[in-house]
Amino acid sequence: MPFCENKCGYCSFYSEAGRFSDVEVWLEALDVEARKYFDDDKIKLRTLYVGGGTPSILTLSQWQKLMRIIAEYFDISTLTEATSEANPNSITPEHVRFLRENNFTRLSLGVQSLNDNELAILGRLHNSRKALSAMELVRKSGLNLSCDLIFGIPGQNLRSWDYSLKRVMNFASHISCYQLTLEPDTPLAKKYGNDELNYSGYKFYRYAQYILPKRNFLQYEISNFSPSGFECQHNLAYWHQDNVIALGPSAVSYVDGVRYANPATLDEYINAAKNNFPDECRTYERLSAHDRNIELIILSLRTKWGVSREIITPEVDAKISAMPEDLFIKTDDRISLSKRGMRLGNAIWSEMI
Amino acid sequence: MNNIRNFCIIAHIDHGKSTLADRLLEATGTISKRDMKAQILDSLALERERGITIKLVPVRMDYKANDGKNYILNLIDTPGHVDFAYEVSRSLAACEGALLVVDASQGVEAQTVANAYQAIEQELEILPVINKIDLPSARPDNAKQEISEVVGLDASDALLTSAKTGEGVHEILEAVVKNIPAPAGDVNAPLQALIFDSVYDNYRGVICYVRVMNGTIRTGQNILFMANGITYPVNEVGVFKPGFTPVEKLSAGEVGYITASIKTLAEAQVGDTITDANNPASSALPGYKKVKSVVFCGFYPIERDNYPQLRDALEKLCLNDSAVTYEPESSEALGFGFRCGFLGLLHMDVVRERLRGEYGVELVATAPNVIYEVVKSSGEIIEAHRPSDFPDASEIAEIREPFIKLSVFMPSEFTGRVMQLVQDKRGTYKSMDYITPERVRLVYEMPLSEFIVDFHDKLKSQTRGYASLDYELIGLKASELVKVDILVNGEAADAFSFICHKDAAYNRGHAVVTKLKELIPSQLFEIPIQASIGRRVIVRVNVKALRKDVLAKCYGGDITRKRKLLEKQKEGKKRMKQIGKVAIPQEAFLAFMQVDGESK
Repeated sequence: MPFCENKCGYCSFYSEAGRFSDVEVWLEALDVEARKYFDDDKIKLRTLYVGGGTPSILTLSQWQKLMRIIAEYFDISTLTEATSEANPNSITPEHVRFLRENNFTRLSLGVQSLNDNELAILGRLHNSRKALSAMELVRKSGLNLSCDLIFGIPGQNLRSWDYSLKRVMNFASHISCYQLTLEPDTPLAKKYGNDELNYSGYKFYRYAQYILPKRNFLQYEISNFSPSGFECQHNLAYWHQDNVIALGPSAVSYVDGVRYANPATLDEYINAAKNNFPDECRTYERLSAHDRNIELIILSLRTKWGVSREIITPEVDAKISAMPEDLFIKTDDRISLSKRGMRLGNAIWSEMI
Repeated sequence: MNNIRNFCIIAHIDHGKSTLADRLLEATGTISKRDMKAQILDSLALERERGITIKLVPVRMDYKANDGKNYILNLIDTPGHVDFAYEVSRSLAACEGALLVVDASQGVEAQTVANAYQAIEQELEILPVINKIDLPSARPDNAKQEISEVVGLDASDALLTSAKTGEGVHEILEAVVKNIPAPAGDVNAPLQALIFDSVYDNYRGVICYVRVMNGTIRTGQNILFMANGITYPVNEVGVFKPGFTPVEKLSAGEVGYITASIKTLAEAQVGDTITDANNPASSALPGYKKVKSVVFCGFYPIERDNYPQLRDALEKLCLNDSAVTYEPESSEALGFGFRCGFLGLLHMDVVRERLRGEYGVELVATAPNVIYEVVKSSGEIIEAHRPSDFPDASEIAEIREPFIKLSVFMPSEFTGRVMQLVQDKRGTYKSMDYITPERVRLVYEMPLSEFIVDFHDKLKSQTRGYASLDYELIGLKASELVKVDILVNGEAADAFSFICHKDAAYNRGHAVVTKLKELIPSQLFEIPIQASIGRRVIVRVNVKALRKDVLAKCYGGDITRKRKLLEKQKEGKKRMKQIGKVAIPQEAFLAFMQVDGESK
């Protein structure tokens, strides 16, 4: 879903600001793309995730079209989880009701912060009041609420971070904490540079690791916290190297060891649809057995369940042994990262490959 | 022989040697004014670029003097820098007289004294010349007084000239004819010819510049190089007109060149004596010695792939400069390169510039160093080129290092600062005298190792460029030196160890570990960095364990991005050197090895 109301100052993901008049064309293209996966035996979906982009800017009739496309070409009777992303600025009671009626189970809300200064720096369209009422709306609907929060924002302090975390915990059953990462081409990076921010994130992350589990939000992945049983099944699929079919501009799928990326922009995507998505419109990457294995080890280590010793190569095992003990939790059959290890994940992975 | 005059010009850099030589060529009609490019005799492009002359090409001038007779004047130049002291002495040995050129406004400078002393030692007739009298600031009487008081030569009859305007040039030529003795020598004695310089030519091989002392040398003759016992038949004999002009023979007293299909400069070394292979002289001319490098540094190509290019360039360059020595070496930070030896700092710069300018090789030069002599407890003496050559501290009885005698000339107001600077560099005071009430000469002895690092720059900045200096090597002396080892996470990091005086060990050790602390990135564990002498740790700092990292989200498309990022990091890591468990970035090694080009 490639449309947003505006581009946030830190965002380097693909989306189009405005251009809502193209939503219908996009939906038609999506129909063409999805049909390519259609077979007499529809593919059975386990999880569904609508994101992007800002799905809450779609009108109800557009949502209906979207769901019709998915249901037409895929088997959604097997879904155990369906999530939509939403923005506090655009979500409405009608959306929430629609999602409920269409068997969605989760809603992921881009709260980011509950401090108005921080929201302004990030370039978000909503303020904390709007975020709180959006959270209230979702909670009342019975959907499981997941909130995204950002730390390492210029001017942020532990007190404001604590405030955001605690308020969000009152509404959500799942929290994702992301460090503000300024990709070089984003407006915020040009304004603030990157070095100082990278350094300042550590203490916020450590505080999240401290406070969230106290309220039963257990860290089940580098960036994700939830009470047991509320983990996002869809995201776990990425980290377990399960097959994922991704539709839409710049979406990346992974099927049986092949990762492929869709046309990168809306215009290219619409063009590709006119030619019924020929193979050349995508870029493919076939992972070697070795790369798949290394990738699986690294992805699995992101999660609290860690990696099975069975798939750890002697080479990687030697490297893990050479690193300080306190970074890992080692059992007879699995190795996972300790809290400190999670904080230093990047450094550990770069040691490992 | 009576109408030949062989002479040279000795002067401090910038005192107008090249311009004066040009005027002499012009006045004798050797080169017409039209053909005269500014300072035609500076052969190396580099010299022109820097406005300094290391060595002029010798030249022969025909001159009709006031007495009506025709004379042959051979102008043989001497390198104007102390690095080439040995070559200076050989050039002087080819002459009977010298023009001692002193700038009328600046007076006697350090190299004026050193060069004049060499000329006196070789018993040359010296004609003082006061140059640049056209300048408003010229004070010729002052300059005369300095020549007499500082150099100790009578300057009352000094010639006054302006090489720029041409004033006084004719008088110089007359004085050369009148005052410089004609060469002595026996045309019938066995051949003795002194090689005072040699150059390499791509077509003709080595061209030896010679002064025939006795006998005659001619084309086809079999000649013997007495130092290395090699014989060659002579291909060509000639004189400098100033171009190479073949003649039939060169006889005693004459100056010219010979070619003999000699392949390398090493076979025809400066100072060697050429004699007739069939009728050899009983002895070689005195004064020959093998030139020894005193300053060393590493040359590395900037791009590692360019190593063969650097090797070829060095090979070619050495055809032209036999004083450069080189041997392959490798470094953690810089890959493969060469350890090169030079006569001094200027020589090092010249070679580096030539490699760049003439051969197009971009290179990194490591900080220069000297050779130490280590006397072991067992009595054995070893030469140590780098810290890793040093034996264990417990086995060392004594360490000796090369010392220099340093003379600094400067306006007296800077005396205090210069004394402080020299003392900081382990200089020992020898003497101080006032040349004039405003100008002072300070003489110190100091270790060469202290001199070659940044002494020039510091002296310049302390005296706003008003000081000049000269030095000579006076040999090895025992010093209280220690080897300071650097340990990273308990493992010795040889690349960072260094030799220094024991009193400086703490400060320098502290500087090194502090710098390393800045340059070694935080890792997954705390890293102690220590400086130690033997087993005694003198400084310790810690690089704190890693506390920062970007915790990026990682879903669908992020996974590819993430892996590419990790692969990039891995590439970066490959360029790091692993010491024990610690990866040390290349910059850290560079920071300790590279000469700071900007400060030169």
